[in-house]
Amino acid sequence: MNNPSATFPPPTASSESAAARATNVSKIYGHGDSEVRALDDVTIQFEKGHFTAIMGPSGSGKSTLMHCMAGLDSLTTGSVSINGIDLSGLSDKALTKLRRDQIGFVFQAFNLIPTLNAKENIVLPLSLGGQKGDDVWIDKIIDTIGLRDRLTHRPSELSGGQQQRVAVARALASKPAIIFADEPTGNLDSRTGHEVLNFMRKAVSDLGQTIVMVTHDASNASYADRIVFLKDGKIAGEMFEPTPDRVLDYLKHLGE
Amino acid sequence: MLRLSFKMTLARKGRLFLTSLAIILGTGFLAGTFIFSDTLNSTFDRLFSDVFKDVDAYVRSSSFVEAEFGGEQRGSTPISALETVLAVPGVKDAAPDVQGYARIIGKDGKPIGADNGPPTFGGIASASVAGLWNIEVGRLPVGPSEMVMDKLTAKTGKFALGDTVRINAQTGSREFAMVGIVNYGDVSSPGGATFALFDQPTASEFLLKPGFVDAFLVQGDGTVSDEQLASAINAALLPADKLETITGAQITKETQDQIGAVLSFLTLFLTAFSFIALGIGCFVIYNVFSITTAQRLKENALLRAIGANKRQVVTAMMVEAFIIGLLGSALGFLSGIGLSKGLSAMLNAFGIELPTTGLTIRTNRIAFTMIVGTVITILSAILPALRAGRVPPLAALRDTAIENVGSVKRRVTIGVIAMLLGAGAITATAAGATNVLLGIGVLLVFAGVLIIGPGIAKPVALSLGRPIEKLRGVTGAMARQNAARNPKRTARTAAPVLIGVALVTAMTVFAASVRSEVRTTIGDQFQGDFIVSSASRQFGGLAPSLATELAAIPGVAQATGLGFTSVNIEGSGKFVLIIDPATASGLITFNMVQGDQSKLSANGILVSDTRALAKGWTIGSPIEIAMVDGTTKTVTVEGTFASSGFGGSYVVNRELFEGTLNNLFDANIYIRLTNDANKDQVYDALTAASTDKGLGTLQSRDEFIDAESGQINQILGLIYGLLGLSIIIAIVGIVITLLLSVFERRREIGLLRAIGMTRSQVRTTVRWESVITSMFGAIVGVVLGVVMGFVLILILADSGASAFSLPIAGTLWILVLSFIVGVLAAVYPARRATKVDVIQAIATT
Repeated sequence: MNNPSATFPPPTASSESAAARATNVSKIYGHGDSEVRALDDVTIQFEKGHFTAIMGPSGSGKSTLMHCMAGLDSLTTGSVSINGIDLSGLSDKALTKLRRDQIGFVFQAFNLIPTLNAKENIVLPLSLGGQKGDDVWIDKIIDTIGLRDRLTHRPSELSGGQQQRVAVARALASKPAIIFADEPTGNLDSRTGHEVLNFMRKAVSDLGQTIVMVTHDASNASYADRIVFLKDGKIAGEMFEPTPDRVLDYLKHLGE
Repeated sequence: MLRLSFKMTLARKGRLFLTSLAIILGTGFLAGTFIFSDTLNSTFDRLFSDVFKDVDAYVRSSSFVEAEFGGEQRGSTPISALETVLAVPGVKDAAPDVQGYARIIGKDGKPIGADNGPPTFGGIASASVAGLWNIEVGRLPVGPSEMVMDKLTAKTGKFALGDTVRINAQTGSREFAMVGIVNYGDVSSPGGATFALFDQPTASEFLLKPGFVDAFLVQGDGTVSDEQLASAINAALLPADKLETITGAQITKETQDQIGAVLSFLTLFLTAFSFIALGIGCFVIYNVFSITTAQRLKENALLRAIGANKRQVVTAMMVEAFIIGLLGSALGFLSGIGLSKGLSAMLNAFGIELPTTGLTIRTNRIAFTMIVGTVITILSAILPALRAGRVPPLAALRDTAIENVGSVKRRVTIGVIAMLLGAGAITATAAGATNVLLGIGVLLVFAGVLIIGPGIAKPVALSLGRPIEKLRGVTGAMARQNAARNPKRTARTAAPVLIGVALVTAMTVFAASVRSEVRTTIGDQFQGDFIVSSASRQFGGLAPSLATELAAIPGVAQATGLGFTSVNIEGSGKFVLIIDPATASGLITFNMVQGDQSKLSANGILVSDTRALAKGWTIGSPIEIAMVDGTTKTVTVEGTFASSGFGGSYVVNRELFEGTLNNLFDANIYIRLTNDANKDQVYDALTAASTDKGLGTLQSRDEFIDAESGQINQILGLIYGLLGLSIIIAIVGIVITLLLSVFERRREIGLLRAIGMTRSQVRTTVRWESVITSMFGAIVGVVLGVVMGFVLILILADSGASAFSLPIAGTLWILVLSFIVGVLAAVYPARRATKVDVIQAIATT
């Protein structure tokens, strides 16, 4: 290992500082010969107020890990907790409520409801919970994404970058414990992509939010405080304070 | 390409099934109607060929009156002619036959058989080989106080030999000793009718007139053909007796045809409703094809990109339509077998009892159903298929299928023009043009509304959804937007609801108006305290002697009977009312325009003013009438009256029929009490004299008016029932659309689930979208239906001053039911929506 900062998960993190934690999580699809281990005994935690990127080659289990930690997919073994709440044993209703109140999502595409305007999309998780939300907070987010003049526009009237910014704003609106972003810039050109990433960075640095982002782009990942590398369903290493060059270097190493 | 189309069609079993469902239901109703009426026809055909199986010749009166509402009344046959017939060479035996009205009163004092059920016959039981009946137990009746009855009635009424049985007939109510039980050929009772049988003199005197019967059933000795036998008898008959002889085959055919004519009316009625159902099914099919075409944009674009030409894409769609049509109609025919049973049960529930045995399935009906179903499916698919053909090879890849509405202005303009043309055609009909124009007018109005539909669907759905958004917050808002996001789809989905609701509303409005009109006219024309009424209008009724008996009860000031019969007036059969002018005064009041009803003489006639105007009759005009027995008389117009709440355009004096062989029954007896009478006491006495003997129904004036005005409810109920299937198809249409929409929006639903929408919120969204759609159809349908009902009354009203009454409660009920329809239709699609796999839905690839 030529990268001194790439070590296995830090075992010393305190439970209060964890926004989400996975303990000995395995996810197995199929049976017998056709068995696929998408996640193989993964233990990891994401600290509050950090921006973490998850990287790894296709099929390494990045998305599966995210889905499992966000309560969208079930585990074969192990446990996941969000903000100290153990997800195992939660009913579908309780899980839904947890996703609504404690988790924010940004997907690669199709993030917004086409029949609702930008503002309605932003406050959607709050509206679903029958809440008004924190007006000052939402105002602040809207100013940060810089789309105040576009609030009454439908998604079809917004550019791809604007749509993703609205999606990030939506993820932030309920002040969730953690935001999961799955290739949030995958459908954007690099300039707009960096706009969105800058905004996400700001959300962590300035607004104190917690973001976990799945990506396979080294320059995207370099916006994060920490990168977790996944390979074959296992954690292959991690890196703090990444730069694009270091990431590329590490990935080359990982591929060998 | 053709093989590919087959493969592609069969690969999507879900879609195949959904589309087929609309066709299955539509053709199922049609097939059910066919099977039901064919079964009914063949049941009756068999019945009458059984009845006249051993009859080689049939002697009857040659004079008859064609009844206004179908069927005929025939004169009587003098028993004296029997000798003549028996003496004709080739005649083995001849039996006199009477088919009179006789109601057997059960041991509980109630008549056996329903008022409007199968007929209750009185007849002759004789030992003659030509007779129809075989003794099963006991012996034949002899003398004026003995009778026998058919096995089924004996069983139903729990009668045993030696019992005393009360029977009501034209000449009154009498008691007989039951001496035997008979079988009708091989069956215990044909068609569920009841039979009370007597010896010939008793039957003649009790059911008809002494010395007369209805016909002679003749059996030949086999030496001559039936035709020869009939003409030999004809030659022997006295011209003065006015008799004729036909063969057994002829009378069988004639009876079958008469029943067939009545049944064909019923069939026509049912067929009309099955075509309504099929039309509504058409809409659903069209809608499904349109949606799936839009959703298959990618698929079709791909086909075009890899080299399929327009024609091939269109052909692929048409092949799919053909397969679905064929499959759907085949399944439809099968379900029609079940539906035919359902129809029978439903008619039964509405008091139309019809005997059906076995199932008659004709291959030409199968072919017709299959062809109609397939053709309709293909026709419904043409427009969507052509649209599919226009997909450019490099079609934009979109996630949701949006169909462009096009110019709203143009749509509304065309729609309004169609509606105006329709309104014009309807107005022309109201002004006296043919009814064909009315049909075209109604169709044009419907077409106009349906053309405008997509143009107004968005604003209407949005405003309908506003209160829901207020009530349910964001889920309501999304439902509202979903209902409005694809106006064409919403309009097409609502169209079947619209048509169904419009028809139901029109019928409700019409019925309410008829009810209030009947209420007013009967209220105006009948002033009295009580009424004894008989429901058997077509056949039999109350003995005319009953009115006299009731008048004699202490406390009764006045009692008068209102009778009816058919006579030939200027050559065609007409329904005439019979009154006793002396006792009718103050009880039955015709709205006289000219003349005085109390002065109606024995040879006078009162005519409705519209009829008088049409015929050019004035006071003093002579009118030639011919009665059932062939008697002709000239009567003089002595007055005219405005439209009668009693039905009928002619009123005559009972004395006119004195000395003739007309059957005379009273339909109703109107009763007024003396001022100082004890109402309860008189009521008891009236009950003892009437209902206790199984004679009619005794009601107070209010009860009677309620019952009369409520009669339309029965027909209304039947029509509701028949429209029910159309409503079911409309519901299926909503279900299919919602399912397709849910499928199309699965990404959106997955996203919503991910970011925190609970399953019940997903259900709420789908449910309210469904409700908005069905309410859109219902509200437009109610408006259209009210207008149609109004028009219907305008056109059907003979007289100008007919009451239009808007049934507020009924209309509200229709809206409430449409709301429920929306909720019900959403149940399954909403469940499917909650089952959307979130991870799959949000997956990018």
